[in-house]
Amino acid sequence: MTIEPELLMAYADDALDPLTAKRVERAIAADPALAEEVVRHRRLRARLGAAYAPIADDPVPDHLATMLKTNVVQMPQRQGRPPRVSAAWRSAAAMAACLVVGLVVGRGVHQEGPVRATDQGLYAAGSLAKALDDQPSGTKGPVRIAVSFRAQDNGFCRVFQSAGADGIACRDPRGWALRRTMPGSAPGAGGGYVQAGSSDAELMAAAQDMMADMPLDAAGEKKAIASDWRAR
Amino acid sequence: MNLIRFIPATRKTGLAAFETELLALLPRLRRFARSLTHDGADADDLCQVTIEKALMARGSWQAGTRLDSWMYRIMRNAWIDTARARSRAAETFVAEEAGLGVGGAGNAEARVALNEVDAAMRTLPDEQREAVALVLVEGLAYKEAAEILDIPMGTLTSRLVRGRQALMARLGEAA
Repeated sequence: MTIEPELLMAYADDALDPLTAKRVERAIAADPALAEEVVRHRRLRARLGAAYAPIADDPVPDHLATMLKTNVVQMPQRQGRPPRVSAAWRSAAAMAACLVVGLVVGRGVHQEGPVRATDQGLYAAGSLAKALDDQPSGTKGPVRIAVSFRAQDNGFCRVFQSAGADGIACRDPRGWALRRTMPGSAPGAGGGYVQAGSSDAELMAAAQDMMADMPLDAAGEKKAIASDWRAR
Repeated sequence: MNLIRFIPATRKTGLAAFETELLALLPRLRRFARSLTHDGADADDLCQVTIEKALMARGSWQAGTRLDSWMYRIMRNAWIDTARARSRAAETFVAEEAGLGVGGAGNAEARVALNEVDAAMRTLPDEQREAVALVLVEGLAYKEAAEILDIPMGTLTSRLVRGRQALMARLGEAA
């Protein structure tokens, strides 16, 4: 009787029903090579388990735990009718608030938050929107623009970094839609900035994916700012 | 003006419960990330992206269902996206510096053991590596792993057996 490699593996993993397991056991009793293979399967499992175990035993890095420990809710505006924002976007807004709270609190200034939630998604607001509107790439400031480019849908997008959040924002008729956000790469609020492009390989790879052509050069960016980022 | 309010993580709101449960899963998610990416720095980047995606998509998670399976699936899909974006970026950008294989492991012996296994895992095709990671490292049942990967059981076991045979050959009889 032949035993499929998959069946033998499942036996080694104790993943068979008792009846099938018995059948495999009878085959093993008649063939030492099968018994050896079972031992090899179990040794491999033990070895992989032991090799990766220290990762799970390690303390979780602060920057990951902080993403979950800082529970922040952005409250809707008090005056006027409450905006109609779907539940999914409200939770997205809570998450964005979680990301940008460092920016707001770190600067200790009460002003419009850097993100607003709408039915169409998250949009830049306040200082972030202003920087996206008219700050050239590479200029130092609370918000730093790493690169601007034209997306495949012909609209303009910009990769930004700030103390509270990094991300990619794309211009549409409603403003700067936040396509991706992640916690800010700047070490601590008000601290120095890391070199543009060095921290956010992930964002840059995403930008590369969205890009229609090459990033805008200084002249192209200037022209785009002057024309209020209107897609041709 | 927007008001910002902190909610203590201990408060039993739905919001805090989600985060608390996710926090407890982080050690396992870091381990899964490491076995997928076989690199310490990439693994933590992947964790960060996964947490972000989970927070964004929390509305689609149903309380009472398994959060670990949901998270493994998000992480695995995020890794596929990252790997794809990278191989495209590599065509136009200069090769990125290779991440140092610094493990979280505390002592030298454990690090060596991890580096050997990392190197062996690196040689597997993605589809075999993710099956091995879920079943042998994360300890999931075949059925759970097949559901996370969205493949039939037969496909899962055939990938798993091929991945294991390759690892056994590579890591030697002492495996």
